[in-house]
Amino acid sequence: MQLPDPVLFAIPAFVLLIAVEMLIARARDPLRYCPRDTLTSMALGLGSTIAGALAGGLIYAIALWVWQFRLFTIGWDWYWFVLAFVLDDLAYYVFHRSAHRVRWFWASHVVHHSSQHYNLSTALRQTWTSVFSLAFLFRLPLFLIGFPPAMIFFVAALNLVYQFWIHTELIGRMPRWFEAVMNTPSHHRVHHATNPRYLDRNYAGVFIVWDRLCGTFEPERVDEPPRYGLVKDLGSFNLLWAAFHEWIGIARDAWAAPDFASRVHYLVAPPGWSHDGSRETSDSIRAAWRAGLARQAPSSEDAARVA
Amino acid sequence: MSWLELSGSVTAVLVLAALAWALKLGQSKISDPATACRLAEEMLAGFVARRAIVSQDGCAALVAGNGTIAVLKRHGARVAARRMIPPLRVREAIEGVTVDTGERMFGPVTLLGVLPDDVERLDAPLTLV
Repeated sequence: MQLPDPVLFAIPAFVLLIAVEMLIARARDPLRYCPRDTLTSMALGLGSTIAGALAGGLIYAIALWVWQFRLFTIGWDWYWFVLAFVLDDLAYYVFHRSAHRVRWFWASHVVHHSSQHYNLSTALRQTWTSVFSLAFLFRLPLFLIGFPPAMIFFVAALNLVYQFWIHTELIGRMPRWFEAVMNTPSHHRVHHATNPRYLDRNYAGVFIVWDRLCGTFEPERVDEPPRYGLVKDLGSFNLLWAAFHEWIGIARDAWAAPDFASRVHYLVAPPGWSHDGSRETSDSIRAAWRAGLARQAPSSEDAARVA
Repeated sequence: MSWLELSGSVTAVLVLAALAWALKLGQSKISDPATACRLAEEMLAGFVARRAIVSQDGCAALVAGNGTIAVLKRHGARVAARRMIPPLRVREAIEGVTVDTGERMFGPVTLLGVLPDDVERLDAPLTLV
């Protein structure tokens, strides 16, 4: 079955909405956009599209090869599309969580988080090395179940289109029922934040219920606005550096590692892991922050007692 | 992806970047030492700022903290920070001082209107002018 590419149809709307968001930013808060950051994001997005087009055939061939070993033969009725969309979103959750917890996958995904801004252009800041990082492995179980590759790639594209609009600070909160089930700008702002409380939370693509079920959900707090970017921000708008810096970091670390085990850890351990413990992981940052809170808590109590 | 789609995408990228420039979006600076201290604490986990000096043009700052010094530089509309391992290496520049961050892509950070003595006063044991 020949299905259209929803992303292709959505691109004009993406461009228009970014322009509208810029105009609103001009009126409300000009710091929400930065020309060089936008140019970097858009160029990374364009490069990602080209990389995707170049590798698309290979991925499709792999999907078809896996599909021949399917457990069931699934048809093209509408309800299979619905089920495919839900299960693909679950596969996305697993991928996305791994992309933050395994440095090999992070090296590719970090590109999307490397902007210190959070606006619609950030949604288009995408990796060029998705295929190299083997991200497609996470969808293979869906082909093994029996979903036709064309159906999965179609719903995956819909998933991608959905995720565009949640990259904005212009929308505060959606209605309560919507926030409970769906990924929203509020939930995704938390995901992009570097505040210790927010690190490595809200991995969902479309349905936030995966985070609620798996214990990785964190609500956005009014008293703690998100700060966006990386724990160690790039400090550079160099396009190639943005696209490849973590791969270069992996290569350097693996080369200089003192032993084989460390080499493997530099590939698969959480980002920030180091053999001598000299760097910060999101876990260590959160632990230090919690320890700081715990130290403050008794003194606040003392102060209250004195008062 | 066809050539038409590719050329259309490139045009859209350039038009949106030009629009951001035309609208004068993202023009910012580090306004004062208190802001520099707050930014350093927010951006560097566990960093406790004591005092700061800010470049005259608001594009950079040095913040002395708990045993280290943070270097801040304006990065577009935001600020990027690095926690430096003491001693901080500072050299005189034509209109101020330059801090070598040791990272090629982050680059050296120049503070205009700041003297080497100002940096030493910030935290002498941590600096090497």
